[in-house]
Amino acid sequence: MVGASSSSASTPGGHPSAGGSSASHGSSADGAPTFEPSSGPRSITPTTVKDLRDAVTTNGAVLIRGTGTATTWGAPVRDARTTVSLAGMDRVLDYRPADMTVHVQGGIRLDALQEELAEHGQWLPYDPARSEATIGGLLATGDAGPRRMAYGSLRELVIGATMVFPDGAIAKSGGHVIKNVAGYDLAKLCHGSLGTLGVVVELVLRVHPLPQTSRTVMARDVDTATAQRLTWALTKSAIEPTAVEWCEPEQVLAVRFDGTADGAAARAAAARSMLTGSLAELDEGEAHSFWESHAARVVAEPGDTVMRAATRPGVDPALVGALSAWADRAGVKALLTCSPATGAYTVRITGSDAKAHAEVVKNWRASVEAVGGFVMLRRRRPGVDAMVESWGRAPGSVEVMRRVKGNFDPENRFAPGRFAPWF
Amino acid sequence: MDAEAATDRRRKLDAVLADLRRECGPTLRVLSGEAERRAYETDALTAHRVLPGLVLLPADRSQVAPIVRACLRHGVPYVARGAGTGLSGGALPAESGVVIALAKLNRILDVDPDRMVAVVEPGATNLSISAAVAGFGLYYAPDPSSQVVCTIGGNVAENSGGAHCLKYGFTSHHVLAVETVLPDGSTVVLGSDDIEAPCYDAPGYDLRGVFVGAEGTCGVATRIAVRLLRKPEVVRTLVADFPDVPSACETVSAVIAAGIVPAAIEMMDNLAIRACEDAVHAGYDREAAASLIIELDGPGEECAELFEQVSALCSEHACTRLRIAADDAERAAIWAGRKAAFAAMGRLSPEFLLQDGVVPRTRLAEALAGIADLSSAAGLRVANVFHAGDGNLHPLVLYRESDGEGPAAEALAAAIAELCVALGGSLSGEHGIGVDKACSMPKMFSPADLTAMDRLRAAFDPSGLCNPNKVFPTPALCGEARGGAYQPHPLEETGKIQRW
Repeated sequence: MVGASSSSASTPGGHPSAGGSSASHGSSADGAPTFEPSSGPRSITPTTVKDLRDAVTTNGAVLIRGTGTATTWGAPVRDARTTVSLAGMDRVLDYRPADMTVHVQGGIRLDALQEELAEHGQWLPYDPARSEATIGGLLATGDAGPRRMAYGSLRELVIGATMVFPDGAIAKSGGHVIKNVAGYDLAKLCHGSLGTLGVVVELVLRVHPLPQTSRTVMARDVDTATAQRLTWALTKSAIEPTAVEWCEPEQVLAVRFDGTADGAAARAAAARSMLTGSLAELDEGEAHSFWESHAARVVAEPGDTVMRAATRPGVDPALVGALSAWADRAGVKALLTCSPATGAYTVRITGSDAKAHAEVVKNWRASVEAVGGFVMLRRRRPGVDAMVESWGRAPGSVEVMRRVKGNFDPENRFAPGRFAPWF
Repeated sequence: MDAEAATDRRRKLDAVLADLRRECGPTLRVLSGEAERRAYETDALTAHRVLPGLVLLPADRSQVAPIVRACLRHGVPYVARGAGTGLSGGALPAESGVVIALAKLNRILDVDPDRMVAVVEPGATNLSISAAVAGFGLYYAPDPSSQVVCTIGGNVAENSGGAHCLKYGFTSHHVLAVETVLPDGSTVVLGSDDIEAPCYDAPGYDLRGVFVGAEGTCGVATRIAVRLLRKPEVVRTLVADFPDVPSACETVSAVIAAGIVPAAIEMMDNLAIRACEDAVHAGYDREAAASLIIELDGPGEECAELFEQVSALCSEHACTRLRIAADDAERAAIWAGRKAAFAAMGRLSPEFLLQDGVVPRTRLAEALAGIADLSSAAGLRVANVFHAGDGNLHPLVLYRESDGEGPAAEALAAAIAELCVALGGSLSGEHGIGVDKACSMPKMFSPADLTAMDRLRAAFDPSGLCNPNKVFPTPALCGEARGGAYQPHPLEETGKIQRW
């Protein structure tokens, strides 16, 4: 892979190592990265930690980029002079199936990693909607999918990490063993940091055995109150679902089981006896397409606005009611998916104009904050930023976050503005 | 310490006390007599003792912040303490410092059985949480061996594990939010904002993830929201005896290779088996060279299927006796033996040092052989009882202080911990670094790593008064001689092990 490349080298649809290279601004014969002449934003795709360090320690604001699937998350970054792409650092460095650990570079795509793990009957039990995103990016965005209720999120699966900080320090925490309490956990610090603290250049992950099978049971015509009641019943039962998702306006409750062939079948059958409404057990193809469309709703399309809410566990009828009322009033369509067991809601707003989107964000955020939750924007229709903040109420710990940011990035060069208006 | 410094420290402590008498009134219990303070001079790492200047027992949560503020105002170091069962000296007081003993803050404040969350005070014992929610069919998963007495506040500080964390994860995976008095005296909730309605997610940096496992250096927890799990439908437990240690290690690898994640896989060597059996009469075979305790849990059908496979794998690997717990009572007896291991060592030796290193599971046999070599070279016995599934060793270095074996035992214990690092592992799996292993940190982390961690610590505690001289190697703790750049391990020099 060549060192420097344009930002267009990241191709969200394709594999990074198959993408960029020749589109780059060129590199010297020995493969060392070369840069655009000063002025104007530049993009660089380093292939070594040292080159990456050199790239991030130059003057000006730095935007770190994986496959570019979350560049719109949080508030827009101001005046990035340098975009550093991790597309050139996408390798598996050390995979030890017998230890069930894998050491990867931060730029490896989740889907590429899963493919390699599957060859050894293993997987990372982690299913964010953006399967083409990089592992480093997924850690930095703190993303998680429906299976989080059973397996945790990436914060529970990362056992070691190496980071490059704004001053050029290369530091690691954790290690290669699945149980380890030596030193502070810098990987957790980076979870949700959205590129404002450091570049996660290497990670060590705990992998799990790939379940023999996965089954999905679906109940239709499940209203909000019923969805909450059924979720409590499912999570308190012995059948251990690995995902429970409720979608509105379809009013569908989908319940997933991973396990042995006989075991998952028995659990799915038990779930059917607990659920109400119109029931179906999806075959493999149907299940695949349901979860694909579920992911597509979470990712959404350019021009949509996407809100992510964190609340306490449950699917709150008042919040769901408020969303549909505000959406109706603004004349937009609001598509919701909720993980009731962990209290995560993702709302995709489509139709009408920026003003209408901003109204829904503002109003629904107030409803969510009134019950102690948070709403961030992952994507917005152009123009929405002028009318509503990407972040709402700041958490009480924001002062500590500011101090952390100040200690690691005193010049505020990494993704400046990402957490505006907080810091 | 010279007289002037002593007077200065006394003056500061008096000032702290005067402030607190005014702010907290008579309900704040103060232990200032030497005999009373003596009880707090050490935790379970009894080799280290420092007499605190003052011990304060808050009567309620609201007294914690004034204590921290008074310490900050007068420049007095402090440490929070739960049950004092920590094994790395994490609760060791600073000289003339304050101990904030949280034993009275032991209430289970709220249980939400639907959301499967409990909010508790830091002095609540680990087991009291499970007891409080058992009626709902729920439990709190992390289960350190000391769970009957150790507190959740201490578990949060140390990111405690236990036998079942192989499947269920550590404290950090089960804590949703921590209400914390920060070293600047302010009170914030790390994790989500409302400790009474905790969310799984919170925006921004994962400060809860940093706090859990920071060994009490980032503040004092006053309320903790924990995640509860449903009790598994079925639990199956077996004890498998082996004619030698490598066969037991190979069995562990075979179980994992079969794609099975047991709830727990524990191993004991012969020395440990005999001590536990003599102490508890758990029905272990005193002649076995090594035994595995393997437990599976989960939905009935799946658990039965996998348990069959595990039993078969034991038999295929030269297992000499397979004992399957017939009922809960037998399972409890098996675990009672294992959990009594550390206490049982008193039968073998008047003193012992416990280590907590971790190696990649595939290097277990190598690590045990290395420990045997180091043990015979030092002329001291080492018993091994450990969490084999995740490679977390607990070698017990047996010695007799009265024979002057103390220094040799300490050197052997440090060499074992550092051997684990040299094998690609870690100094500590669950006990923490504390003062015990701080001087070994440079074997595992570079100066840049430690600087980054210290930068994070300073964001929480710029004053450096919150549990100082823990985790990080300092000249005061380690002298100039120890630490520094990488040096090869003794076994590396002889070519017996290799780093990777």
